[in-house]
Amino acid sequence: MKRPVVKTADKRNWEKKYCSPDLRNADFSSISGRPLEPLYTREDLSGFDVDTELGYPGEYPYTRGIHPSMYRGKLWTMRQFAGMGTPQQSNERYKFLLAKGQTGLSVAFDNPTLYGWDSDHALSAGEVGKTGVAVDSTADMERLFREIPLDQVSTSMTINAPAAWIFAMFLANAEKQNVSFDMLRGTLQNDILKEYIAQKEWIFPPEPHLRLITDLMAFCADHVPQWNTISISGYHIREAGSTAAQELAFTLADGFAYVEHALRAGLEIDDFAPRLSFFFNSHLDFFEEIAKLRAARRIWARHMKEKYKAKDPRSWLCRFHVQTAGCSLTAQQPKINIIRTALEALAGVLGGCQSLHTNSMDEALALPSEKAVEIALRTQQVIAFESGVANVIDPLGGSYFIEKLTCELEEEAERYFQKIDELGGVVKAIEQGFFQREITRAAYEYQMALSRKKKILVGVNEFINEDEHLEIPILEIDESVERDQIRRLQELRQKRDNQAVRSRLDALKKAAAGTENLIPRLLDCARVYATLGEISAALINVFGEYQEQPFY
Amino acid sequence: MSVEPMKVIIAKPGLDGHDRGAKVVARALVEAGMEVVYLGLRQTPESIVNAALEEDADVIGLSILSGAHMTHFRRVKELMDKNGLGDRLLTGGGIIPTKDQEKLKELGIEKVFGPGDDIQAIVDYIRTWHRSRST
Amino acid sequence: MNSDRRTGHSLKPELWDQFFKGSRLACARLITLVENFPELVPEIRDKLFSHRRSAIRIGVTGPPGVGKSTVTAALARRALKKGHSVGVIAVDPSSPFTGGAFLGDRVRMQSLIGDPHIFIRSLASRDGHGGLSPSTPYAADIFDAFGMDRIYIETVGVGQAELDVLTCADLVILVLQPGTGDVIQALKAGIIEAADMFLINKSDLPGTESLLDSLRFIFEISARQKTIPRPPILAASALHNKGLDEASAEMERLIHGLIQSGRFQKKKRLRLEGEIKASILQNLWEQFSTLTNAPEEIQAAADDLLKSGQSPYPFIRKISSRIKMETVNEKTCCENRR
Repeated sequence: MKRPVVKTADKRNWEKKYCSPDLRNADFSSISGRPLEPLYTREDLSGFDVDTELGYPGEYPYTRGIHPSMYRGKLWTMRQFAGMGTPQQSNERYKFLLAKGQTGLSVAFDNPTLYGWDSDHALSAGEVGKTGVAVDSTADMERLFREIPLDQVSTSMTINAPAAWIFAMFLANAEKQNVSFDMLRGTLQNDILKEYIAQKEWIFPPEPHLRLITDLMAFCADHVPQWNTISISGYHIREAGSTAAQELAFTLADGFAYVEHALRAGLEIDDFAPRLSFFFNSHLDFFEEIAKLRAARRIWARHMKEKYKAKDPRSWLCRFHVQTAGCSLTAQQPKINIIRTALEALAGVLGGCQSLHTNSMDEALALPSEKAVEIALRTQQVIAFESGVANVIDPLGGSYFIEKLTCELEEEAERYFQKIDELGGVVKAIEQGFFQREITRAAYEYQMALSRKKKILVGVNEFINEDEHLEIPILEIDESVERDQIRRLQELRQKRDNQAVRSRLDALKKAAAGTENLIPRLLDCARVYATLGEISAALINVFGEYQEQPFY
Repeated sequence: MSVEPMKVIIAKPGLDGHDRGAKVVARALVEAGMEVVYLGLRQTPESIVNAALEEDADVIGLSILSGAHMTHFRRVKELMDKNGLGDRLLTGGGIIPTKDQEKLKELGIEKVFGPGDDIQAIVDYIRTWHRSRST
Repeated sequence: MNSDRRTGHSLKPELWDQFFKGSRLACARLITLVENFPELVPEIRDKLFSHRRSAIRIGVTGPPGVGKSTVTAALARRALKKGHSVGVIAVDPSSPFTGGAFLGDRVRMQSLIGDPHIFIRSLASRDGHGGLSPSTPYAADIFDAFGMDRIYIETVGVGQAELDVLTCADLVILVLQPGTGDVIQALKAGIIEAADMFLINKSDLPGTESLLDSLRFIFEISARQKTIPRPPILAASALHNKGLDEASAEMERLIHGLIQSGRFQKKKRLRLEGEIKASILQNLWEQFSTLTNAPEEIQAAADDLLKSGQSPYPFIRKISSRIKMETVNEKTCCENRR
């Protein structure tokens, strides 16, 4: 099949015709405010070297995917984040999801747990079991995973500030189930830097948190080799209102900061880097999201290989989980959220994710109901088994637009890395409010674009249904959850060996004041049912607490 | 200025760290000429009402996405009444189901905002309340 | 304004009763009144004077972002521990375009909240140009009469024009951070000469030593050093809670010295003089402009002068000659001396 070569002059011709006055009066920038051309051509890729920029799937720099066979080999893991109420209630939800064909568990904890507080802490009132499950001790961990074989499912736990001692409770429970540590598979979010940047759930100042993360990396390298010790998260940065480029740049910058901290602590890069994983948002702007995910793989691979001199190719891989954008869901006409989520999920898949969470349509209203969760999971199944998109690897690779966008996002991220370096690194930039200000500004601009109808959100600022009646059932958490949880906690404090709890907490404090790896000490505390809040208090005693900085 | 400057407290009671809404609203109110006292995260009803009292604030806006809205709104309202701030406006936003919005109305919290509500509607609501109070 | 807060142009007596009985809401309302109704200031000040005590007013100033709020909170916490009653006035800038203001200082003062012996008030700078709101000194007086004996006044931090705080405070702490060396050069002529204490915050950042060096150098070459001793220069990190006990102890020594040396009384006297002068000036101008239609005349004259390109002084002499002291009612101009 031979056709005449198109001359570049043709583009000029087209341009003349394009600039006719009949363009729609609309905003053609991306959701992040990125200006876009009406058409991308090979001129946009002049100087683009397919071999060095793309390569092949499973090959450096991994732009096209981390596995040679991608979804022909293994589909992404369909992993729905869930958890609410008491550990027993969550345990039932997990069994429900596994029965519906879900292939991994993902635990959502309630707010007191995320802050490292017990359910009977004064500030926990009204929050217990509300947006996740309450876990106060190893006893709750036992209830949470009752009859779930930990050596057969992979478990992801979204926990950050107290991640190390929640993980210690998880390990203590594995011991009770007689599952050896090297059989455990799963992920701990454990990403404290994005807490200071976006999610705001911290306990200590950055330094001791970073120490605990490095301790965990070292411990897992020796004892829990299949565990992903950290899931470096852009998800929350995006939810806080960042642009796609900010999500990409800030997340990877956080990743580099963890790497540098571990290297300074004396770890070997190839001992811990293969267990680093990532977690990105998939928002509504379809192509920009795909390009962002592709750029993430290329940037990470380049930095790990060239800057940090990792030798093991597994250290170069940016493996990531994707969740559709919670902030794109609307309370108005909530059923439309199913469509939004489907588009976002498709972008995640075309971007080459390793696992995916699809949000439920009712999440702008309340915690997801069982019916809504099922539709969200079915959405993934339709993409995987009906749409055909999983048949071909990186099907958009080579598209002028996608490749140009991928390069632009990479360049933008590099400019941010440079700026962060100038500020003295990620921790110093956090202390100076750099990320927080950038994100707040972007969030405000987006909100104003909606308010001025520069951007359209269906059912919200256009195509509004007056007198809308809600037709979907809402899940409510019974107030008795809090009472039950507190009662169990107080019973536990009565019947455990309090002498042992005290002495192990003292030992923990002593160790925290020194430099030894704290994970074995935390495990000791978890084994005797020291509570989450007691362990937090012991460590705060040594490390101090972090104060919020009001960047605006 | 036709009406005296308004002082608005913006606070996040409870434990969730999602301060995007609070910050965007704070910014919009500043742009609309209001003086916004931002209290930040993890505020107790006691600390919020204490701040409102010291600042002699006209309006208290709470942002709650943790599901604990009933507990916090109820308590803030009680403390406002107890501290002589019953004539100030209490409003807020977050993920608050319609059924709970009805219950909040019974407590005297006339209007709360949700995801997707226009930011200008919040500004207008506060302004209108303030004008009607000044006359 | 709500009618329950004031009646006509005078205050309800109940508000004063509540204030003197210790109602925090009444105290807060009085501050709102001096902020929003400058015409009420003389009446409020009359009432307060008989109840004034001798609170020490400590100004905390410095360039933006150096951590003034965190330092203020840290010092206030230490004063509380010593049994003082503490008032904090935190000033943040008003937008010149919208008039709105983002007042975020309370976030950094979280650790103080809940103590009944502290009262924090945020003020928007409104039309104040020198780093404070025009109502700041009155708010401080209200705190003083309410029984606060330590009053911290934190300025906006707009950079160079932070001089208001000098007239409003008994002691001034200038907070700096490493990397603000160039700012020092710019500040040199103004506040650096007048600050009673220098605090280098964020001293964990690189550049602390060179900042300390350049400060010492400035004092070595400055003339001030010959008459009064060099002010203390301390390094601290408020975020990491380092060096603040020392700063607080130094502050106490300065306060002691201030009182012992009689400079405290002198500062108070100077403040009073300043207020009287400013008030007279204001009254004179008001009288003058109502009597002579001066604002319109000045505007017209300025227009003419611009067109003609002539010196303004003949006009100034002409219009000034119309000032006749006897037209100015003495009672009015000295109103505040009562």
